[in-house]
Amino acid sequence: MSYLHSIFVAPFADMADAPDFFLQVVWEGLVSGVLYALIALGFVLIYKSSRIFNFAQGIMVVFAALTLVGLHENGVPALLAVPLTLLVMFVLAVGIERAVLRPLVNQPDIILFMATIGITLFLIGLGETIFGGANKVMITEQLGIPTGSWVVEPFGGFVSVEQKDVTAVVGAVLLVIALLVFLNKSKMGRAIRALGDDHQAALSVGISLSTIWVLVWFISGIIALATGIVWGARAGVSFALEVIALKALPVLMLGGLESVTGAIVGGLAIGILEKVFEIYWGQPLLGGNTEAWFAYMLALLVLLVRPQGLFGEKIIERV
Amino acid sequence: MKMTFKTALLSTILAAGLAMPAFAQEVLKLPNMSYRTGPFAATGTPHMNGQRDYMTMLNERDGGIGGVRVAFDECETGYNTEKGVECYEKSKAEGALVTQPWSTGITLQVLPRTNVDAIPMYAPGYGFSAMQDGKTFKWAFNPPTSYWDGASMIMNAISDGDLANLKGKKVAFLHLDHPYGKEPLPLLEKLAADHGFELLPIPVGLSEMQNQSAQWLQIRRERPDFVVMWGWGAMNAGAITEAVKTRYPMDQFVSVWWGAHEPDLKLVGEEGKGYRALSWNFADPNAKLMQDVKKHVVDAGKSQLNQGAGEFESTPYQRGILMSVILAEAVKAAQEHAGTKMINREQLRWGLENVKLDEATLEELGATGMMAPFSMSCSNHTGHAGAWMVEWDGTKFNKVSDLLSADRAVIDPLVEKAAADYAAANQPWQMNEECTQ
Repeated sequence: MSYLHSIFVAPFADMADAPDFFLQVVWEGLVSGVLYALIALGFVLIYKSSRIFNFAQGIMVVFAALTLVGLHENGVPALLAVPLTLLVMFVLAVGIERAVLRPLVNQPDIILFMATIGITLFLIGLGETIFGGANKVMITEQLGIPTGSWVVEPFGGFVSVEQKDVTAVVGAVLLVIALLVFLNKSKMGRAIRALGDDHQAALSVGISLSTIWVLVWFISGIIALATGIVWGARAGVSFALEVIALKALPVLMLGGLESVTGAIVGGLAIGILEKVFEIYWGQPLLGGNTEAWFAYMLALLVLLVRPQGLFGEKIIERV
Repeated sequence: MKMTFKTALLSTILAAGLAMPAFAQEVLKLPNMSYRTGPFAATGTPHMNGQRDYMTMLNERDGGIGGVRVAFDECETGYNTEKGVECYEKSKAEGALVTQPWSTGITLQVLPRTNVDAIPMYAPGYGFSAMQDGKTFKWAFNPPTSYWDGASMIMNAISDGDLANLKGKKVAFLHLDHPYGKEPLPLLEKLAADHGFELLPIPVGLSEMQNQSAQWLQIRRERPDFVVMWGWGAMNAGAITEAVKTRYPMDQFVSVWWGAHEPDLKLVGEEGKGYRALSWNFADPNAKLMQDVKKHVVDAGKSQLNQGAGEFESTPYQRGILMSVILAEAVKAAQEHAGTKMINREQLRWGLENVKLDEATLEELGATGMMAPFSMSCSNHTGHAGAWMVEWDGTKFNKVSDLLSADRAVIDPLVEKAAADYAAANQPWQMNEECTQ
């Protein structure tokens, strides 16, 4: 009976007893969720246009952040280092299209997936060679990102809000809006969507496969840089950031591989729910560290009901 | 004529081939398992640079150890246990004199193999604490101090030398959810039970190392009197930044030696003031030992260290140097005892058991004050050198305690039991019957 109480009653009583703490938990979950969503967006974009599951998205986050910090360490002003990093990501996109994707056109999906694992290993080696393995400090202040914090005092308690987290959330929202406008309103954006819907039809109306691939890999590079800046501002820039990118996998399972909306909703849902579960059920009842598996369990439950994810397309194949 | 030429060429190749093994034997193979890639590279790299640079210095300054050059090859594991086992098998096949597993997970995996393969395992400052028992773990060494020693010293320090002062208090144990992070738990649980303080273990998963908000929310809710950190790699930097964000009092936040890592503290700078770590080494870039490394290796362009980031002056780099110092002293002892420069594994094992790093030896090496003196024996494979508390002042670590020592009366019975349990669970287990100490 007491066990049932600790599952079904005590957590909610805790939330009611300390609502300010509950708000803090939700805020922290929201920030994590926004960052998961950003990483997932990079995956979705490439999958939408080329049906490639880009395993290299995580290392792209690391590589972009290390390039930015590395350029600054070598005397490049922060605001100039950003466009230069974007230029590096563009060159990387062109290089990947030319050296990896183009020779593999029409190969099975699994071959392209394996190729992205190869890109991952290449970028790890290249990043290590150029930047070393040490943890680096993100140039947060130099980029004009505020580093203080606000303390709000609801319900007689307090909620601490880091200004850089607020910047991350606002920045992510603006990035997503820009991405949605680009995908829905611009000619190139519509071309990306067309390519995702039907390769053959898109090619038949003159859409250039190579141009679109360069474009989506470059946009993923932009998203990777944004993600690298905000994650790096929280705990430094190191190759450990790549591990966080694995959190995008359950987000994609939950939201659907080809849905921008799914990536956002999935990211936010997993970010908030895993944090609330960890604090109110995981730590008191299961010894903690439930964040390592909670997201996968949640995604698995969703897959049982909707195999295509919450916002994925239901594909019917006639045989 | 053609045949003559071919015959001559073939003879040359054959002769060279036959000569190769003899030539290849003229080095002391002391390989290291490294992780310069992956999420733990940030802490691994400076240690491995230090280890490598000391061996390079010996090669450059003295022509090796006892006149025989050291081959200090690295095998990259990425802190991955499976890769570590592969590296172990590879180095064994290549005739390595020692295995340096560089991860508690890998240590636990290869520990039974080293006992069968008769290869000394050298795990300085890490690994399974019960390896202290040299009668049971004939081939395993973890000098100069073990994790249980470290946990004991930390608890002594935060209780002002009397664990009774912790009665009724709450101590959070923030640790990597990995064999390394869990290693001190048996000792801490015993101390909590004996002295009436509450131990709150808080695990940090690999994927949460840079996103520890949940763990620090728990700390905010539970309000522990102390947070003891057993972190590694990106986890330490993540914890320190979260501690600052949570406004946890830095003077109540203490780490094991891996947390005495300047690059992690530079992330928070002034806001990290008061943070302490237990460290068995203290950085002294002006020590004669370090100046020799600078002259023969760093300035000669033979080091991989990151000069611009102040790595030479850092605690982890100099800890890596000292790790190789201990191993080199074991080789020297073995060479002198065996009367040969080209020692074998058994002779190196003897050398490790007879390392005596007293004040005079440390002074001779030019390392006075960089670590505490210690010695090992056939029954004591740890040495139990003491350690100091170092405190971050916003820009660097300062020594803020006298030399601390672990509570042997509590640890030794635990070691004896853990070693006996291990041997019983891994039968048939070869004990060191010759050790009568």
